[in-house]
Amino acid sequence: MNEAELNPHALTTLDAHSVPIPWTTATPNSVSVESPTRKTRAVVTVDRLHKTYGGTNGVHEVSFSVGEGEILGIIGPNGAGKTTTVECISGLRAPDSGSINVLGLDPQKHRQEVRDRVGVQLQEGSLPPRAKVREVLQLFASFYRQPADPDELLSELGLTEKRNAYYKQLSGGQKQRLSIALALVGNPKVAILDELTTGLDPQARRETWGLIEKIRDRGVTVILVTHFMDEAERLCDRVVLIDRGEVVAMATPEALAEQEGGGTHMRFVPSAPFPDKILASLPGVSSVEHVGPHVEVTGKGDLLPAVMQALQIVGVRAQDVQVTSGSLEDAFLRLTSQRTRPTTEVAGS
Amino acid sequence: MSSSGGLATERIPSGAFWQLVRFEGKMALREPIGIIFGLALPVFLLGVFASIPYMSSHIVPGTNLTDFEVYLPILIVTVLLMVTLLGLPIPLARDRELGWLRRFSTTPAPPSMLLGAQVAVNLVVAAIAIGILLVGSVVVFGVSVPHQLGGFVLGVMLGTAAMFVMGLLVAAISPSEKSAAGIAQSLLYPLLFLAGAYLPTEYLPGWLQTVSNLSPVGAARQAMTDAMQGTFPTILSLGVLVAYIAVLGYLAVRLFRWE
Repeated sequence: MNEAELNPHALTTLDAHSVPIPWTTATPNSVSVESPTRKTRAVVTVDRLHKTYGGTNGVHEVSFSVGEGEILGIIGPNGAGKTTTVECISGLRAPDSGSINVLGLDPQKHRQEVRDRVGVQLQEGSLPPRAKVREVLQLFASFYRQPADPDELLSELGLTEKRNAYYKQLSGGQKQRLSIALALVGNPKVAILDELTTGLDPQARRETWGLIEKIRDRGVTVILVTHFMDEAERLCDRVVLIDRGEVVAMATPEALAEQEGGGTHMRFVPSAPFPDKILASLPGVSSVEHVGPHVEVTGKGDLLPAVMQALQIVGVRAQDVQVTSGSLEDAFLRLTSQRTRPTTEVAGS
Repeated sequence: MSSSGGLATERIPSGAFWQLVRFEGKMALREPIGIIFGLALPVFLLGVFASIPYMSSHIVPGTNLTDFEVYLPILIVTVLLMVTLLGLPIPLARDRELGWLRRFSTTPAPPSMLLGAQVAVNLVVAAIAIGILLVGSVVVFGVSVPHQLGGFVLGVMLGTAAMFVMGLLVAAISPSEKSAAGIAQSLLYPLLFLAGAYLPTEYLPGWLQTVSNLSPVGAARQAMTDAMQGTFPTILSLGVLVAYIAVLGYLAVRLFRWE
């Protein structure tokens, strides 16, 4: 923990079972360290958020912050508490305990001000079937003090042709784009997008990704809830992994993939036999295995130069070298399955 | 409700509420279930009664009113029930089921504004429907202006308020559009009966007449009938209406869920 706080690029992995209240020792100063990619002020701070209702789907002691202008991904399995967390940020739900600060405001005390500055796209939140696209956008614009121009927004989101169409006539992708438009019509400083691309075809998903990058380029801070790892990898500056209501990890997607995705795998055919220990003793290497003619080295960090150098010293050349690093998906599965293993073992064996 | 709406709308741009009323009005026109029942029914019933000359010539024994005049308050109660049980709660329950109320609650506009707009739209429909009935009665049936005009207006207003609050309570307790429609139907027919729409309440046994007098529809009808006969509505009928407004209103506010 201490090392992680000192080194902003280090991954923070929290084992919630051994450290039930991981953030109680954190000082407020550590908040700025949590944003490794941009040295900017935090626009959203969640501190020891606790919210339960009726048993499942609650969150416990969730803490993180979002830096100005970044895209923060909130990832985790279904029912992990992702939506609950963003609903508390947007003020739709009141936390049981803990505090939330959005642009210096408390979403519960400053309901109107927070809603004026935070655009929200909900997972479930349909419109009246016979509402027309432009009509509803114009209506929402009238609720904000400094709204965007609805027509400009429609053309930016490629909905100009559909401006007089009924909501029920829109395709899934068009509905999502309208939903984004509604989240942006108040010219928000923060946009919360929940499961934006769920149910979209690959083409529409990619278009939506482009839109999210456009939103960020407008200077809007984005909180993106997703369970698609490719989406998080592509879009997010940082991700917060929530599982069963607790923050399990918080890092850049790259760092999380590398350090928790099972590490880097290096595979090669040696020109001559050599003792395993010359590689196994290298810093960062966790295992050396033989698979047919291949040697597989697994470890963390940049293995290639160290391995090549060690081989060179004993006069062995490496041929057919392949290096693969862990993906965010691997990290996700590893971090979340670790916690579910006790039950799966009972069921499986 | 208007007070809580007024308090919360302080900071959102003025004009937002009227934009919303216009929007909800368009939605109501595009799916005009409440409007059809609320507006077409009075016109139809006026037409039917117009074709029965006896209705406006025969004086009901024991009163100074014609048959049509006895029926007029019942017609007013009927269109109010159509608007408040069909036009108001069913779209509201659907909006909640769709997540529209939830979507709306992410904006700076307070959710009570949406409720206020729905009430406003349906009040307009109710006012037009009652207007058609009253103008039609005077023009086609030669009904004279009620002797106790103030009492009549009071009866109409309190009856309207009681039935709107009842509609909001239905919206509050219905988890879905289907259940709202079910609850509305199961209230509509007994209430039409208690209002005397099927059978003059004078024919009912005493205990059922008491039930009628203590129902919002019966009390509203009685208040209007009294005023038409020239006497101010009784404390009982006005008290019953006020009690319904208070109790049902309290329950509606307590039980209403935005999602």
